[in-house]
Amino acid sequence: MDASIVLEHLYLVAMTVIFSVIVGLPIGVLAYLKPSVRKIVLWSVELLQTIPALALLGLIIIALGPGKMTVITGLVLYSLLPIVHNTFVGLESVDSGIKEAGKGMGLTQLDRLISVEIPLAFPMIFTGIRIATVTTVGVAVFATSVGGGGLGKVIYQGIRTQNMNLIVSGTVSLMIMAVLFDVLMIWINRRLAKGTRNQAF
Amino acid sequence: MIRFENVNKKYGNSVILDDLNFNIEAGEFVVLIGPSGCGKTTTLKSINRLIKPDQGKIFVNGQEISQVNPVKLRRKIGYVIQQIGLFPNMTIEQNIGVVPKRLKYDKKEIQKITRDLMEMVDMSYEEYAHKYPSELSGGQQQRIGVLRALAASPPIVLMDEPFGALDPMTRATLQKEIANLHKKLKKTIVFVTHDMNEALDLADKIVFMEHGKIVQMATPEEMLANPASPLIRDFMRKSALAADTLNLTAADFLSANVISVQKKKSIRECTDLMARHHIDSLVIKNEDQTYAGVVTIKDIKKHGKSSGVIGEIEPYQNITSDILENAKDSFDKLYSSGDNYVVVLNNDQTIAGIITKTSMATAMADTLWGDMQ
Ligand SMILES: Nc1ncnc2c1ncn2[C@@H]1O[C@H](COP(=O)(O)OP(=O)(O)O)[C@@H](O)[C@H]1O
Ligand SMILES: [Mg+2]
Repeated sequence: MDASIVLEHLYLVAMTVIFSVIVGLPIGVLAYLKPSVRKIVLWSVELLQTIPALALLGLIIIALGPGKMTVITGLVLYSLLPIVHNTFVGLESVDSGIKEAGKGMGLTQLDRLISVEIPLAFPMIFTGIRIATVTTVGVAVFATSVGGGGLGKVIYQGIRTQNMNLIVSGTVSLMIMAVLFDVLMIWINRRLAKGTRNQAF
Repeated sequence: MIRFENVNKKYGNSVILDDLNFNIEAGEFVVLIGPSGCGKTTTLKSINRLIKPDQGKIFVNGQEISQVNPVKLRRKIGYVIQQIGLFPNMTIEQNIGVVPKRLKYDKKEIQKITRDLMEMVDMSYEEYAHKYPSELSGGQQQRIGVLRALAASPPIVLMDEPFGALDPMTRATLQKEIANLHKKLKKTIVFVTHDMNEALDLADKIVFMEHGKIVQMATPEEMLANPASPLIRDFMRKSALAADTLNLTAADFLSANVISVQKKKSIRECTDLMARHHIDSLVIKNEDQTYAGVVTIKDIKKHGKSSGVIGEIEPYQNITSDILENAKDSFDKLYSSGDNYVVVLNNDQTIAGIITKTSMATAMADTLWGDMQ
């Protein structure tokens, strides 16, 4: 097992999280802004997560063929839930007086979102991103079964050749990676929360 | 300045605003009052289009507001709410500058506006402008809430129970400040409250609402003299100061057990007296029992010697008030002078007692208790 495999795994995780944010944040905002589609949107992302990861990847292979894009697409769909959900809840729980004041003073909807609501909801949103990241570290193991590489390859190889060392080193690398991400992101979030001085967090 | 013509609003089957018609002149301080749920907030929010009436027209500055872009409309109407709603992620200066920034004022200008406004409510720009709202007390936050509404000099300011969540002392101070700001800036203010004292204190005109209708629109004096309905009378009676205030005098609020001494009393005796009564000042009388001034423990320390008589020390000319003076004027003096109490004098200049903030609060509580039984 060499460093390039760890990097490959990190690459999968990073791409997944970036795309999940790009897709999930607007969906969360949409659920917040449009009560008419809220239920269906939140229900859909929840449904996605109830599909077993392997099955989801399988379905996407049929659509996209094997490869890194397939893996990333699958992982993105799988990690949308915490991001969408936390974005929605974070925005929804911004104090109603703050929202009313903003509206009453003549801030547009978009202005309110950008200047006030997203900054205040950000610690919550970031928590969603953290959960998505840590989950993706683990779920990305399945990537290898659809030609995505990463640490999953090491573990599968270990299983196939009954090599205990490989299995353990692959697993421990994953665990360390997950814990590091978790701790680092909790730390960042604390710093951010302090920066926004939001008493709620 | 603001005109309602046959304005109606329903939620489901319940009528919230029932054919409202009224007119508010430029520069007027109008207070909407009435029992909870009578439609005050709905009326107020109709003015800046936070709520859309089902029927009728509202004119602001001659323009029918449904024809005006709501964002543009709101930027010309200040809005202050009970929950304050300062943006926690912005400093005080950024909060005050929210609307000016959107109206493309430059940075220098916003800074000057912030500084000037803060000065008006005695808040130091240097000390507070770069703090975050959570670092301020509730009263200070609402001061900023009011300033934020004034920042882009809107001709109209709407206030929905702005002081409702503050303690009575802070509320009294902010009421005074808003009255001053109104006097200085000549804004048209529409102010919602359910506190009749507040209404009587602040209003040029009071609009009394019940079940979405206006029961009476009148000056405070008129409303006191001729309340148009039993409910209004009831509101007046429940408010501690209301009808009575006009005839309450300093005599009703003074505390008579004031410690006063003659000029010939020795300084040592005076300091003993102060220590025994846990007070830091004495009221000094001339030979003929008339008021001479006040000597504090500080003055005695400065004097240096503990031998001799108290008359050797030049007394401080504390604020005084005549015993028949209107109580409200005495309170105003007490608050504006910075002295710890008002010395109340009889007609012959002898000492009747003092009014402290505590004696005032006690007397007001008595009035309240008296009313409640
Ligand atoms: N969105 C709403 N849906 C249904 N009823 C409402 C709504 N908003 C206010 N009401 C009702 O309208 C009435 C007037 O409300 P409001 O103007 O807030 O009263 P006030 O400010 O005088 O206490 C109340 O009975 C309230 O329950
Ligand atoms: Mg209300």
